[in-house]
Amino acid sequence: MVKLILSTGNIVSGGPSIIRKPGAYRSNLELTNSLRSNFLAAQQDFAEVAHLNHSHTHNGNGSNGSAIENGNGHAFADGTEASDGRLHMSVWTEEVQEGENGARALFVPRIDWSMAGLQEEASQYEITVKLFFLPSASVQKRAQYAREALGLVLKELGVLDVDLLIVSFPGMSFEGDCEWEADKMNAAQGDDEEELATWCSAIEGLHRQGLVKNLGVAEFGSEKLARFLKRVNIRPTVDQINIKNCCNAPPPLVKLAKEEGIELLVHSDCTNILPKGTLRELLGQGLQGAGVLADSESGDNSGLRGDLAPRWVVKYTAVVRDRGVIENKGYFASADLTDEQVL
Amino acid sequence: MGLLALGTALDWPDAKQQAHLVRAWGIRQLLEIWNKAKGKERDALLWGDEVEYLVVTYSKEDNSPVLLSLRQADILKALADDKSLSAKGGCVPDLQHVHKQNEPLPVFHPEFGRFMLEATPGKPWGIEFKELLKVEPDMKLRRCIAKDHMLPNEYPITLTTFPRIGSPGVFTDPFYPVSGPRLRSQFVPDEIANPHIRFPTLAANIRARRGRKVQVNVPVFRDEKTPWPWKDPTVNYDLHNWPEDEDVRSGGAAPDNFIHMDAMAFGMGSCCLQITFQAKNVTEGRRMYDQLSPLGPIMLALTAATPVYKGFLADTDVRWNQISKAVDDRTPEELGEKPLQSDRWQIPKSRYASNSTYISTDHRLRPEYMDPNLVIDPAIKQELLDGGMDDRLATHFAHLFIRDPIVIFNEDLQELDLSKTDHFENIQSTNWQHMRFKPPPADNSIGWRVEFRPMEIQMTDFENAAFAVFIVLITRAILSFDLNFYIPIAKVDENMETAHARDAVLEKRFWFRRNVFSQRVSRSSASGSNTPTGGVSRPPTPFGPVEDEYRLMSVNEVINGTAYARESQDGRGTKRTWDGEEKEEEMVEEGDEFPGLIPLVESYLDSVNVDVITKCELATYLDLIRKRASGELWTAAKWIRTFVAHHPGYQKDSVVTEEITKDLVGAVIKIGEAEQKGTGFGQLQGDVPDLQRLLGDLRS
Repeated sequence: MVKLILSTGNIVSGGPSIIRKPGAYRSNLELTNSLRSNFLAAQQDFAEVAHLNHSHTHNGNGSNGSAIENGNGHAFADGTEASDGRLHMSVWTEEVQEGENGARALFVPRIDWSMAGLQEEASQYEITVKLFFLPSASVQKRAQYAREALGLVLKELGVLDVDLLIVSFPGMSFEGDCEWEADKMNAAQGDDEEELATWCSAIEGLHRQGLVKNLGVAEFGSEKLARFLKRVNIRPTVDQINIKNCCNAPPPLVKLAKEEGIELLVHSDCTNILPKGTLRELLGQGLQGAGVLADSESGDNSGLRGDLAPRWVVKYTAVVRDRGVIENKGYFASADLTDEQVL
Repeated sequence: MGLLALGTALDWPDAKQQAHLVRAWGIRQLLEIWNKAKGKERDALLWGDEVEYLVVTYSKEDNSPVLLSLRQADILKALADDKSLSAKGGCVPDLQHVHKQNEPLPVFHPEFGRFMLEATPGKPWGIEFKELLKVEPDMKLRRCIAKDHMLPNEYPITLTTFPRIGSPGVFTDPFYPVSGPRLRSQFVPDEIANPHIRFPTLAANIRARRGRKVQVNVPVFRDEKTPWPWKDPTVNYDLHNWPEDEDVRSGGAAPDNFIHMDAMAFGMGSCCLQITFQAKNVTEGRRMYDQLSPLGPIMLALTAATPVYKGFLADTDVRWNQISKAVDDRTPEELGEKPLQSDRWQIPKSRYASNSTYISTDHRLRPEYMDPNLVIDPAIKQELLDGGMDDRLATHFAHLFIRDPIVIFNEDLQELDLSKTDHFENIQSTNWQHMRFKPPPADNSIGWRVEFRPMEIQMTDFENAAFAVFIVLITRAILSFDLNFYIPIAKVDENMETAHARDAVLEKRFWFRRNVFSQRVSRSSASGSNTPTGGVSRPPTPFGPVEDEYRLMSVNEVINGTAYARESQDGRGTKRTWDGEEKEEEMVEEGDEFPGLIPLVESYLDSVNVDVITKCELATYLDLIRKRASGELWTAAKWIRTFVAHHPGYQKDSVVTEEITKDLVGAVIKIGEAEQKGTGFGQLQGDVPDLQRLLGDLRS
């Protein structure tokens, strides 16, 4: 089994993938587009490196101390290109052994951590992290997922803690034409017990450890939120909701939030942010794919094989506090690939 | 307007003698600030808005005409003397419920016109999103306090210009005869200007330097019964008080088909909406200056509100060129009408004009964008370079300093005081370009600032707040997404002209940059360490021709994006221009889609934490701007035009009579009162014509 760690890098100055399409109010396009363009960009960047390494060697004047070789032991033996003309995966991704049990993680694309971090010291930023637990992923492993996801964000931003961690649970939304109806329907969505268990075991600990200053939830309607507040040890300070028209927040929720001192924030993400099919397409051999996964239908192409299961997605944003400038925004996503074989 | 220093103002011949000294000292003061403040870092975003008002006297009940009130000084005095204001209580409980505030009260300032007031917030705004929502209530409070210190029949209104300023007969209260020694205008009295010595001197010295009166000529709107060719019937060809009176007889000052105006008050008597931002450091300030510059003409067209001059419908919709001409102090030699003899250079633009420089250190700034006709003073540039300023910024100030100071106080010429910036500001603040780059004050207490100046004032505080907040959000999107709006300065100039056309917002197209996104930075330090050039940035893609970087777009496309513009276009079918001529919109090629400024702002808002109520309010502001750009709502200019056209007293001859003016101002006052009461604009339906077309259901 290998764990995939996908990343977008900083998407804030990366161009069109961050721009909202007219009418899109609940969308995962930002994630999928920015992953796709980051894969493509990595392939281009590392193709240049590979090319340069080759020419250096052939000229006889190049040291072989390229950062790539030093960094991770992936030598460019022969053939940085796979048979189909794509840049070979080993050039632009990176596999690392994690921990003592030798679990393997594949970073897509490889991340140069030396370039991580923010421009000014951490106190200048308001850092918000949103963790998406996905419907297909294991509920038992959520504590591990949360630590993993937050750990990557802290490493990427070069900070010791974040200001706000918002948790998104699967299966919840505000649907319906009228705000009362949406709030009512929301009451029956999700799974109270699972959410509570996750909160207590996976999330509150991060707060106690000082990794997160404030906690938040997403898409909790008035009834769910009221029930939730009664049972948690550490209360969320934020409920982030996605409604078609932000001027029509459900009145019972507005009232409850006011009474309980919870801030109602707006977002435009969809809850099921990375379905398996979308992920497979992103990593597959298709025209828009990254060529990491083998195509299931035909056996004659390269790439990893196996069953793909998304684990979590995390979004992070660092905003310069008194200037309102977004300096860094990006995503990590993780998936398990089981029973793979490298061809 | 800054603090009004007192002293002995020099008349032009004397002032001219001292111009070099003022410039030399101004440059010394500039270098002093530059060296003190160039390393200033990490200033917060603070920003402020300036709203300017006309003060009118209006009585609904009797038959008296609506007039400009010249009581500016009395009103300011009343505000200053009011002890209760210091207690910061409410203002007019009959009109609205007012809370006690801990915030400082708004500040009122005099302006050039003696019928004008300017008001600013008591302290600058921050970027807390909730704070953006305080702007509109603060603007309402300003209007409320102002009104409260006026006579019962006086009203502060936010029309850009008074429709009948300069018309024959009485248009001010009190009345003064025209043709005074300072302005020598045959249309407005000297008393139209703020009596503080600075203002009449400014007007007189501009006239004297120029060697004749200013000529503010606006094309008249040709309606069905407008005589053609049209000769401005208000021009008096028999006046013989001043040498300048000859201008209209032999000087060609009043050409056919133009509304002729001859005094600074016709321009500087216009009200604008200006926004000033504090940047985190000089680099960010320079970047904002450049990036906001191409937005100027777009925002000018979008806020168009000035279709009437001196009692006639004009064929233009905005104030800009009129102000430009009203303060144009260039001599015939500088204008290129006579060969250069005593003057140093020909100057292509008035000192009130669109920007002539880009000043950023941004690597995306290509030399091709620069103004090929830029005039600079090479000696001043060299002095700035020697003083440690970089080439680009030195060029900017060496350009501003080609101008003479207009108002010089004798007392300030005794010795150079480097703890002040008065001489620098003398030149800097009489260069009225559509952006202004402002160094910190002498004590370095605040940061580098950039002022966005092209927007026209809107009739309601809701609209004014919407445009102010929009510009703030655009700056945040520019800095966050590292947007690139560069086009050649010559194209910005061209856009500025285009923005003047009647209904330019819908009928004209503007040059705008196709791809506003910057190139991504490579994630791989590996590639950097292996490339001979080094560094983390990818080697820049070779630049293509500059002409390929921009194309013509409608305001709708710039503001809302290509997709939205196409959709709203399809909805309306083939457009009809004012001339009745049908025109097909060119289709935008695949891959050449412009994202739109509002989608960019929305994407910014999607990425920051905004609460439900704030988001809703901000969405209302964006709605107004979206609909103005798409034509779903009218600009103030179109609303005023339509008001005049449908008025029973209108004879289809382009004449805006006293009666029409009174009803128009009456409607504007009603709108203002409804806004103050907070009862919503919806209740004015039927009472104020076409209000629905101006504001839709917003704030109804």
